[in-house]
Amino acid sequence: MILVSALTIAVLFGVGSYLLLQRDLIRVVVGIILVSNAANLFLISAGLSRGQAPIYPLEEGVEVSDPLVQAMTLTAIVIAFGISALLMSLVYRVYTSHLSLNLEDISEAEVREEESIESREVAED
Amino acid sequence: MRPRLAAPVGAVFAALAFAATLWGWLLAGGGTVDLPWAPSWDLRFTLALDGLAALYSLLATGIGFAVTVYASRYLPLHLEHQGRSEADIPRFHFFILMFMGSMVGLVMAQDLILIFVFWDLTAIASYYLIGYDAHERDSRRSALMALLVTGITAVCLLIGALMLYAAYGTFSLPALIEASEPGALLAAAGALIAVAGLAKSAQVPFQFWLPRAMAAPTPVSAYLHSAAMVAAGVFLLGRFYPLIQKTDWLLDALLVVGLGSMAVGGILALTRNVLKQLLAYSTISQYGYVVFMFGLGGEYGAVGASFYVIAHALAKAALFLTAGAVTEATHGETRLSHLGGLRRELPFLMVASGFSAAGLAALPLTIGFFKDELFFEAALERGGVFPALAVAGAVLTFAYTWRFWSGIFLGERRSEAHGVPAAMTVPVAALGALVIAGGLYVAPFARLAQAAGEVTFNAPTPIDPAYHLDARAENLMALATYALGVLVILSRSFWIGAAEAFARLGELAGPERLYFASLKGLNAFSDRIHDLEVRDLRTRVATILGPTGVLVGAGLLFTPTRGAYEVGAIGPLDWPLFLALILVAVAAIATVFPRRHLTLALVLSSVGYILAVVFAFFGGPDVAMVQVLVETIMALLFIGILVLLPRKVLEREASNPIPRRRKVRDAGVALIAGFFAFAVSWSTLSQPALEESVAQEHIRLAPEAHAKDVVTAILADFRGLDTLGEITVVGIALLGIATLLSRGRLW
Amino acid sequence: MKTSVMTRVVARVLLVPALVVALAILIKGYADTGDGFNAGVIAALGMLLQYVAFGYEEAERMMPVRLVAVIAFGGLLLSLAVALLPLFWGLAIFTHVPGPGEEVIHLGTVELITPVVFDIGVFMLVFGFAVGAIDLLARAIHRRET
Repeated sequence: MILVSALTIAVLFGVGSYLLLQRDLIRVVVGIILVSNAANLFLISAGLSRGQAPIYPLEEGVEVSDPLVQAMTLTAIVIAFGISALLMSLVYRVYTSHLSLNLEDISEAEVREEESIESREVAED
Repeated sequence: MRPRLAAPVGAVFAALAFAATLWGWLLAGGGTVDLPWAPSWDLRFTLALDGLAALYSLLATGIGFAVTVYASRYLPLHLEHQGRSEADIPRFHFFILMFMGSMVGLVMAQDLILIFVFWDLTAIASYYLIGYDAHERDSRRSALMALLVTGITAVCLLIGALMLYAAYGTFSLPALIEASEPGALLAAAGALIAVAGLAKSAQVPFQFWLPRAMAAPTPVSAYLHSAAMVAAGVFLLGRFYPLIQKTDWLLDALLVVGLGSMAVGGILALTRNVLKQLLAYSTISQYGYVVFMFGLGGEYGAVGASFYVIAHALAKAALFLTAGAVTEATHGETRLSHLGGLRRELPFLMVASGFSAAGLAALPLTIGFFKDELFFEAALERGGVFPALAVAGAVLTFAYTWRFWSGIFLGERRSEAHGVPAAMTVPVAALGALVIAGGLYVAPFARLAQAAGEVTFNAPTPIDPAYHLDARAENLMALATYALGVLVILSRSFWIGAAEAFARLGELAGPERLYFASLKGLNAFSDRIHDLEVRDLRTRVATILGPTGVLVGAGLLFTPTRGAYEVGAIGPLDWPLFLALILVAVAAIATVFPRRHLTLALVLSSVGYILAVVFAFFGGPDVAMVQVLVETIMALLFIGILVLLPRKVLEREASNPIPRRRKVRDAGVALIAGFFAFAVSWSTLSQPALEESVAQEHIRLAPEAHAKDVVTAILADFRGLDTLGEITVVGIALLGIATLLSRGRLW
Repeated sequence: MKTSVMTRVVARVLLVPALVVALAILIKGYADTGDGFNAGVIAALGMLLQYVAFGYEEAERMMPVRLVAVIAFGGLLLSLAVALLPLFWGLAIFTHVPGPGEEVIHLGTVELITPVVFDIGVFMLVFGFAVGAIDLLARAIHRRET
């Protein structure tokens, strides 16, 4: 079971980092979401015990699932949710200012802008 | 709300604060507020109205009152000249009151961290006040300079405080004064604290920020120089004097700094042409006196320094307000070379400011006479060359004060002028009247200074300033000062060249150059980093992932592997979980392939939903439920964003072919990343379960907390701070989304 | 884009149950599965349905969306208050009332305890966040279309 969990985490993380390296900004966001999914899965499988849900009344003699990792995973999910929503609006904002979602186009545009600012500053001095 | 209303409100607040301080000091006899603040960090919220606090808070509130009254007329005119709306008026009064409040808090605080907090608050208030004319580049730069110089040195204060805490285990100043013993640590901490005080008081070599801060509106300068900010610096020295005193070389260092500031400030004040610049350098030299007196180390020094601060504050505030009124009367003329002969247009102002100028120049019948008497006495107490140096300093003061006052009111007229509103002259007259009152009946001022001196010196300091009509040394020194002062004034053409050369030398090789050089260097450094960073997002991701991989790999290499890498048993009930995990992996891999973004979104949410199933099988119904709900909303938001983006752009992105070489590289990186994630999570998850875990404790305690759902109890109770952090992040994310999608407007 | 009558009726009919379920989960969070967060998202989903079915202008008319920011940050402040108020009595943060072993006041089967207030803060923030994000998005789409 440990091995299977670890493998799944690894797949999520690997695929996430693959998408992170893409040029398409939306795929980058998907990559980040997958990586945070990997983190969530890792957290929950790091529980020290597994069994019934930790809600009273508890059955005697049956193992109880570790509630601490669950609370932490819950927190992590919520934060990932907030951040992903923010990232998506960031993507939209990038699109409105650069009219592109391609990282290569955007970084080229940024370099151009940077250079124009520098030349303006030189002119001012 | 009419913006002009801010002025009377501010003035009333200042007057009430002044009255309350006076009442607290005279009738209630001081007092202490002592509350626990953060007991686990040994922090207490301790305020005490002792002599030192009374002196500085009376100055802060009293002069604050004069300044707000003055500003009620000055500010509307100032804004009108600059073509700005009156809506900016409340901002001024807000920050003046904040300044006043933090100053009063600072002088009453008895806890090192509390002192630091108020210390920084004064810096923040001064930043906004100096940069009040925010549309002017000069003003912004000056504000930043003041903030950086005083803010960076404020860190010295914090470090000093922490050193003291580390050694003596308390942040309470009275306790530290009792407990501390002379030694290298006390010297180092004292030196750091003194650096913070000296920088704020614009002493050499930190003096350069103060003349720049003259970019502020005049009432701000008046306040800054006399009762707040700059005064806070010498206050800090006075407050920590019992600690500083225990190290001899620190006192000597103070002597050197004080003398240096007296010389630099005095000489440059003789060369400046702009009124407020002259006054700024005068302030540097005047606080140089105070630091010098601290450095002398005797009881006369301690009381004299306190008395000096009172006398200087009254006179300097009045002179600043005079400068502002004169500039207003002459349609914006600020240069001495273009002013003169205003005795006919501004007779009242001439007399009123004449009193204050006489006070600064230490003429008899003004409070200033006693400031110099104590100053000379302190120098005589120490002996050696110091009396001569004291006289030299006083001569400079005498000369530049005359230059200021006579340059405005005497001589021939060089500019058009009209009268100024009464609200701008009455505060000057009131301060001038106080200067004279102090000269005629010095007892109340002396009593205040003595009470402050006792705190500073940490012992009774019986002094008794009075007029003595005999040939004692102090009187002779005063006479020598006047005589030499007149000589300096008359011989201006002989030394002016040398003085200006000195000023130019300062510009060429002064500490200001260092400030600008280091600012430039930092900027260049950050530019380089920025350049490296923004060129390409993928490079940046790689620069994060690469070192992370190296670190993780190193961690794996050096961690003992015993017990790690267990395959783990699959129980009969685990098969559903097993299948769900496989499905997650398959769905994750499937996200690589879709070309269309909508498909991608759907595949992504399928990953999330199956993950929810996994969570459920792990025995976490709460987590599973949240995962399902979040996934639903996320999918909808995702699709919403896709709707927002034009189809053409999306299609171009989807059909954009990726070069083969890049594909292989990315896949390689992903494989390595996945492998590391695998190794780390496998080895971590294989660690044997502990017998006694925190979780067990949580489960046991949940009924005590009236909870049946242990997870909720952890979230809302046991580890509530985590949840608090989490919802704060969510709240900030909402602000971020609002900024990005509708330019910061939250409905 | 017009949605069918059926969709709109279902959307309208589902709003109240969604809110009721959210409320139940919120109040019973301490006794059963779910907490403020779940409740917030469920209530937000109920609202979301209105956006999908009626478009944002109609949906905004149904609910004072202007209040969303107030709800969100009011919730944040409420949670902060529950967490920090004990400091004023010299207690550690997150000291809940009633304390361990003390009697709980029941209102029917509802238990009156401060963690629930904290959870209500979380609920308000999450609800505000989700509805706010949706609304901002809907407005942006609307702006782009017109």
